[in-house]
Amino acid sequence: MDESPHGEMPGVPRRLDPHPPRIVVIDDDYAMRLSCRQILAKSGYQVETFEDGAHGLDSILTTKPDLVVVDLKMPGISGMEVISRVKEIDPLIVIVVITGYPTIGSAVDAIKSGAFDFLPKPFTPDELRLVAKRALERRRLLLESSRLEFEREFLKRRFVTFVSHQLKTPLVAIHQYLEVLERMEDAPDTATKRREWHQRCLKRTDGLLAIIDDWLTLSEIETSDLARRRVSVNLGEILSGILDVYEELAAESDVELTLDLAEDPLLVRGDPNCVSVLFDNLIVNAIKYNRAGGDVRVSGERVGGEVIVAVSDTGVGIPEKYRTFLFDEFFRVGGDAARKTGGTGLGLPICKRIVSELGGKIEVESEEGVGSTFKVWLPVYRDDAGLQAEEEAAARSSDIGVGASK
Amino acid sequence: MAGLKKVLVIDDDEDFLESVRSLLESEGYDMVEAESGREGLQKLVQHDPDVIVLDIMMESTSEGYGVNSAIKFQPEYEPYRDVPIIMVSSIQMSPDERFPRAEELGMIRPDEYLTKPLDIPRFLEALRRAVQHA
Repeated sequence: MDESPHGEMPGVPRRLDPHPPRIVVIDDDYAMRLSCRQILAKSGYQVETFEDGAHGLDSILTTKPDLVVVDLKMPGISGMEVISRVKEIDPLIVIVVITGYPTIGSAVDAIKSGAFDFLPKPFTPDELRLVAKRALERRRLLLESSRLEFEREFLKRRFVTFVSHQLKTPLVAIHQYLEVLERMEDAPDTATKRREWHQRCLKRTDGLLAIIDDWLTLSEIETSDLARRRVSVNLGEILSGILDVYEELAAESDVELTLDLAEDPLLVRGDPNCVSVLFDNLIVNAIKYNRAGGDVRVSGERVGGEVIVAVSDTGVGIPEKYRTFLFDEFFRVGGDAARKTGGTGLGLPICKRIVSELGGKIEVESEEGVGSTFKVWLPVYRDDAGLQAEEEAAARSSDIGVGASK
Repeated sequence: MAGLKKVLVIDDDEDFLESVRSLLESEGYDMVEAESGREGLQKLVQHDPDVIVLDIMMESTSEGYGVNSAIKFQPEYEPYRDVPIIMVSSIQMSPDERFPRAEELGMIRPDEYLTKPLDIPRFLEALRRAVQHA
């Protein structure tokens, strides 16, 4: 079925839209309408013909065809008028004008006012088919670029709205506390409320500061050279440093931390700060989204040219439906447990961006009620000699490849 | 608490709920709270409130719209279809900007739309109007 309408016209791109392209022909000459219809219908297009501009425009308004073929010289509404009305109805409808030789000057005017091409009378069936084919290709490009533009604009606007919402939420909460307090100045329990709400306001300002810090980190990774340094980073040092920092938090949460590296030193190639921010985020998450009496296990091993680090927790796990969104900015997994745990919604997006800057990847495995494991792949570090040896080896193997293919 | 007008507040920010609770209780309302759309619909059936205050962006999504149309269109919430809804959001937009395509999206305009932080006199006035209506 996909094949049918365009079978005889290779080069007309197959449309996602299952309908054959729709063409409206407006010409006051009966014989012309008839032959246009026959020629175009034979190419598999859906054709409607009209004898004057008024009827043609009525149909165009409701059916929104892909292409309008219009005679310039007609009684009633002129061809030029039709062009400008069609452009008002939908600027993406492509227009081709038919014109007699004496009116070629007006064909140029028609193109200036938005027609795509013109076809001088008399024309052969092949000429009409060729012009229609080119016009429909134009239509396809217009639709495609307008769709892309729409998507881009939509995402941009939605993102700005989203970020401002995230920044405003804590301010709204604080503002509301202060205003209600002011209003309830004389109520009996206001003193108690004031103390409690004061603490809550402080917590919210901290949260807001954390969001802004994370937001800055995220854009720094993207725009600065922060992630472009490529030095040897000793994972053992970094990971045990992070675990030391969070020993207290882990004890408070009744979570046990273990580090298990297959070799030491385990070296990756990257920027020490970024690597540190990356695992800091993953380890804090593993502690925060764990259960009392649970474990956080950090393990690392070298597999070929990569180092794989896994950070596993024994928390509630991440429901499958959320996993694809997990690395999106400001996404937070639904449910009470997750919401009650403070977070900026930017930790994992930061991780993802760092990993991709460093030329690695990050994935999550999770089982509800059992726990989650975040796995990170990073390029292994080689000193210059090692790198050189490897490049030579690569060069040699590609030589062999070329030789073999000859 | 018999005789008090009951307000169901659906919002995922517990601090917002806390301050609104103090305000509403000091104004003589009985407040029921829900921290998600789903919980909100459960509490709607359990408590049969006189008015609903509904946040639009919960869990970083526009869950409030879903709650709104569930109440207005799903048969199981039919008995509550006429409970007035006051929608709130920190995004500053007029209802016309907010709901230009309301009908084609299968939504109806909320009875009131207020931006956060709430202007307290306006909020209380909207509540008064809503409960009188009910």
